[in-house]
Parts: sequence; structure tokens; C-alpha cells
Amino acid sequence: MQIKQRPVFPGGIHPTDGSDKELSMEAAVQPYWPETVTILSEQSFGGKCRILVNPGDSVKEGQLIGEPDAFMAAPLHASVTGTVLEVKEVANQGRNILACVIRREEKHAEPDAAYCHEPVNIHNISREEILKGLRDGGLTGMGGAGFPTHKKYETDKPIDALLINGAECEPFLTCDYRLMLENGHALINGVRLLLKGSGAQKAYICLEDNKPRAAEHLRNILKQAGESGVLDADEHVEVKVLPTKYPQGGERQLIQAALSREVPMGGLPADVGVIVSNVGTARAAADVILGQMPLIRRIVTVTGSVKHPGNYLVPIGTSVRELVQLAGGVTVEKNRVIAGGPMTGPCVASDWKGEKELFYVTKNTSGILVLPDSAYEEQPCIRCGGCENVCPAGLVPYQIDFAFLEEDYDLCEKLFASECIACGCCSYICPAKRELTVRTRMARDMVKQRMRERAVKKA
Amino acid sequence: MNQTKTIQGPHLRTERTTRNVMLHVSISLIPALLGAVYFFGIRALYLTGLSVAVCVLTEYLWQKLTKKQVTAGDFSAVVTGMLLAFNMPVTVPTWIMIVTAVFSILFVKQMFGGIGNNFVNPALMGRLLTMVVWPGTVMQYVVPRTLSTDAVSSATVLGAVKTGGEAGYSYLQMFLGETPGALGETSKLLLLVGFAYMCYMGIVNAEAALSYIATVLVLTFVFGPAGLFTGDILLNLFGGGLIIGACYMLTDYAFVTRRGRILYAVTAGVITAAIRIFSIYPEGICFGILTANCLAGALSLFQKKHVYGTKKA
Repeated sequence: MQIKQRPVFPGGIHPTDGSDKELSMEAAVQPYWPETVTILSEQSFGGKCRILVNPGDSVKEGQLIGEPDAFMAAPLHASVTGTVLEVKEVANQGRNILACVIRREEKHAEPDAAYCHEPVNIHNISREEILKGLRDGGLTGMGGAGFPTHKKYETDKPIDALLINGAECEPFLTCDYRLMLENGHALINGVRLLLKGSGAQKAYICLEDNKPRAAEHLRNILKQAGESGVLDADEHVEVKVLPTKYPQGGERQLIQAALSREVPMGGLPADVGVIVSNVGTARAAADVILGQMPLIRRIVTVTGSVKHPGNYLVPIGTSVRELVQLAGGVTVEKNRVIAGGPMTGPCVASDWKGEKELFYVTKNTSGILVLPDSAYEEQPCIRCGGCENVCPAGLVPYQIDFAFLEEDYDLCEKLFASECIACGCCSYICPAKRELTVRTRMARDMVKQRMRERAVKKA
Repeated sequence: MNQTKTIQGPHLRTERTTRNVMLHVSISLIPALLGAVYFFGIRALYLTGLSVAVCVLTEYLWQKLTKKQVTAGDFSAVVTGMLLAFNMPVTVPTWIMIVTAVFSILFVKQMFGGIGNNFVNPALMGRLLTMVVWPGTVMQYVVPRTLSTDAVSSATVLGAVKTGGEAGYSYLQMFLGETPGALGETSKLLLLVGFAYMCYMGIVNAEAALSYIATVLVLTFVFGPAGLFTGDILLNLFGGGLIIGACYMLTDYAFVTRRGRILYAVTAGVITAAIRIFSIYPEGICFGILTANCLAGALSLFQKKHVYGTKKA
């Protein structure tokens, strides 16, 4: 007899009681069309694009305006119909990035396509067409680092499982939850396309047990799709509910929890036959392949200390300042504004009053969070072992921390600092409030750099 | 307090701090302190207060003088001070209490780098010092005032049995604390109340304490004074300082895996039992735990840890 194991990954934390998500959980997604958009040529770190348009050009929604110039890049499209005002460098999270500013001149007409309301037949769409769609549609990961989607799917390794990441384990964020509830059909159609594109036998839509409504909803759609007869015999999609724990949505942890597999050190999920894509990416796949609309919009959660926390469907390049205004503005004067979730998102401004531009929505901006400012004093480590207990990668953060402070990078390497996933669990749990995540991440980068240097020397 | 602003994430942190962990430990020791006052009189409170004050002050002055970050307010010195006093008989002279407290904080804790860096438990080290330097003075245990209005000198239960005498007290008296002994260690009931509080607050893990107790009891039972399987389990459990040692001294913090924790506790237990069985000392708690403290680094090598993505051993 096989013992059924509860799907889990080791370590992890429960950073909140869930009340943070309740802020925006019931807020239906509102579309918002700003007057101008500022589309960054670098949508994710290292994903540089060459801008193809000049000031004065008229552009149409979905028109190609940037070509990939780097490995991490995906094609860039105009997110509104209008005129290019300027192509200039803008300050974005401490760096200057070339951006294309477009003034919107036409209202957006929402197409009423079948794939958004019902399961559609994808029998006649070939794998090649899907891969081409993913590439030309400028799809990137929409939850994490913004890795170009087509690069994941064009692997020559055999893939047997596709994980669709709807864990949304970061506190406060609800954009994926709303997407699953409101765009269930488009999502499921997208998952089916990605399944075909990946060549896997089965797709699992993974979410945490704090989102029972979304799980129920998606299961109903799958059932309906099964009954409608449009599904091919080899299309196996399953909704998998996992116990709520942070960082469930971390790619590696999700693979471990859902499939009991571990991505080998220095490897990619494809090495164990898995591809992981965010629910947003799956929905975007449906938009580009079934709706001929490249990735130009996404849902962004605006929450925390704002008057009306909510979820907004906005074109890429929307100003975050406008979005926070739309949500009623900040309610706490001593605050910090965070791009993304509270655990891994960088702080982009503190004591922000609403007048300065912060950053512009990119393909992987999942949320804007305003938190009351907080300060801690770092104290000596008391060797409680809390960080070691919660580390999902199985590291001993406090030892890496000491090794790093002593600049003993050999020891950092021996302690597997390179395997840090920067989830933030160690800093969260530390009673001495040590900045373990910050320094372990620095140790990781240092160790990885040394490994690369060694590899170069060897060659 | 000067607080440095941290802009880097994660932006959510647990509310638990070193200070409130130590505060909870101090709170958990209060029942035992009240018990000490009840059994040994108001001098118990005086000694505990003195010990705590000296510990905190020593820590503060040392950190000020060496221009280190001042952490004297984090209650860890309070815990050390309380435990130190709990290990003394009520008759201990004031000056010995002060010297021991200074020794524990200054030489055992601060000179090794302060909180977290001391490789042995400061309170136990303090007890060891007094045992070695002033054995006559600190082994003067007295009968609780609930039994005798005069402070009658007496051996502890374990001590009496060790030298071939009778225990002279019922198991219930031992459990409640109505026996001669050090201030805080006599009432097992009150110590367990405090320990339950710490477990409830999620500060300690009971695994190490239980494996330590189990190891000592099994070994002392098997290798009893009158041959195999003749040990007195309840006497060993309630007669001495086993419970305070297991619950408060055997800090298992260096071990994260269950395997490591239990290995550590069992090691301490074997040494404690060996001392109880073979040596002239009736207790062995102090030596057992201090030895395990020193072996912690070596023992941690036996922990099986798995780093994600590496081959399983």
C-alpha cells in the first residue's frame, strides 16, 4: 500500500494570519487606462530591449516597439494606442533605464473573445505555433524574476510535468487570486496551451489552501471542459491544493511540494522534467495565441496602508504614483513603498507622500505595497537556530552570516551559500533582528561570482 | 534606543525578540521563586534579587567599558542571575553570591563574546565554581522552614542516600519541594509549571529535556545501588536537580534537527547518570550538562542536514 504523503517542502514560515490578504481579496479587478504610459526597455533585471520607435511615431496597441537585446529579454509591445512622446532615460528603482513614453489617444476596446468564457478547441494549434506565440507575444514570468517564457518551453530536455503557480504565497498580494476567480476560463485555456507547448503529460495548477474558492472555481471549469468534449484525450489538467506556507510559490519549493522532486544544484527545473509558469503567464498565453494580443497588460495589487486596497488591470508602463492615487493615496505618513510582496520585494521609497514618481509597472510587477515604516536594531545572535529551522533550502543562515562578516568566502561556499533563494524566512524569524537575508544573499552572489571566475580560469 | 533603519527586506518580521524570549523565560521562573520564598523564607528573594542585580550591572558595566553594544537590558542576564541564585542554598553568604554572579557574567559569558557566544551555561559554571572553591559553605543545605523553624543543616535527599542514609522525605514532599536543597530546585511542581509556560509560548522544545530525563532515569534504574534494575526512579527524578537541569540548563539551542537535539541530551544524560552512579557527587547535573555543552560542536557533526538540490547522503 502506498502511503499518501502530505505535499510539503521543509522549513518555511507563516508570516501572517491572512488578514493582510483580506484587504484586497474581495476587491474585483478594475481596468484602468492612464493618459500616458512609460514602458521600460528593461522589463526585468538584465532583460534589455532595443527601442524601435521614435518620438512622434503613432503606435497601435500590441505593436512591437522593442526587440530583445539580451538573453533575459523578450519582445516589447506598445500597451496603448497613441503617439510616442519621447524615448528617454527614467530613474527606476535607483537605476536609469531607457523608456518609451506613449500618450494614449484612443479608448481601449475590450474584445469579446470566446476563449474568455468557455473552453475552446485547441486541437489545430501546433506546438510550434504555441512556442512562436510565446516568443512573439513577449511573454515573461509574471510572478518572479521575469524570465522569458519561451526560453523555458524551448528546452530540449524531456518535460513530463507542468506546474502552474497560483500559490501566491507572499502576504498581501491577491492579483493571482483575483485572476483565478475572474479569468478562470482564459486561464484554463492558457494552461492547456502551455501544456501542449511544454510537451508534458500533465499540468498541475498549484494553489494554497487559503484560496478554496479559487480552487473550487477552477475545478468546476475543468469539469465543464471535460464534459464539453473540446478537450483532447491527452490533456490532463489537475488542480492541486497545497498547505499554506511561505515560500510555497518559490519555483524550487513548489516543485518539491507538488512533485517531491528537487532541482539539482546549479540546475533548472527542466533538469527534473518540470516547467513552472505563473497563472498570469498562462492567461497571457491564451491572450496571445487565442486572442492575438501580446503581453501588454497585467493585474497589479495595490494594498497595505492605502485608503482603498484593490486590484487593477493596467497596461504595462502605468505609473505607480497614479495607481496609488487611484487607490486613495497612502494613509500612513511614516511609510515605505514596496514593489511586490513584503518578503522579497525591494523598498522603492520611504516616507512617500504621493508626489514623486516611483516606478512603472513592468511585466513582473505583481503588487505595490505600502507599509508603516519600521526599524530594528540588530543584536547579537543568540544561536536559537530559528533561521536554520525555517530555511527552505536547508542552509544555516547564521553560520553563513558570520562567515560573510569575517569575509571567509571559502567557508560561505562550504556552507552552500550559493543555494540561498533569498526568500527572507531567516530574517523574518530572527529574534535578534539580524539582517540574515541581506547578507546571505550577498554571500551567495559572492560565492557564485567566485565559482564563475574559477570556471573561466579552468577553461 | 538607537534603532538603525533597515530598508532592505523582508519587510515583515516576527514580533519575537531576544528580549521577549528572555523575558518569558524570566516570567516562567517566577513560580519557582515564589516557592523558594515559601520554603526558605524571604532571604531567598533577597539572594535572587541580589544575584540578578549583580549580573545585569556587571554586564552593563563591561559593555560600557569595552564600548560594546549594550545588551544588558535584554533580560538574558536576569535569567542567568535567577538560575544562579536558584542553585544556591539559602544560607549562602552575600559575598559569595556576588562573586559568583560577577564570575558567571564576566568570565563565562562576556569574555567569550557575550550572549550567544558563551560555549557553556554561565549559571552552571557559576555553580561549579562555588562547588569547587567553597564546598563547605555552599553545601550547607537547610530544612525548609515549613518543617522546622530553626534553620537546621541537612544533606539533600540525594546526598543522604548517596552516603548510605535514608531519604527521609516522601516522594510527594520531593515533588512539591518540601526538602532540603538549593533555592529554586526543590519544587519540581513549580519548575514544571514554568516549563509548561515556556513550551506553551513556543520558546523551548521539550524533546531535549525529556530525552535527558529519560536517559538519566533509565541508566540510574538499570545500574542501581544494589545491583542491576534496583535504582529508585522517583528518587532520581524528584530528589535532586534533574528537573531544573533538564528544563532550564540544558539549552538545546545549538541543535536544529531532532537527531542532534536528542543526541546532545542523551550525552548529557549518560554523563549525569555515570556521575550519580560512580562518583562521590550525588547530583551530576552540573557536570553532565557542562560536558555536553563542551561537546556540542563535535556532536553537531552528527546532525544529518540536507541542502536542497544536493545529492541525498
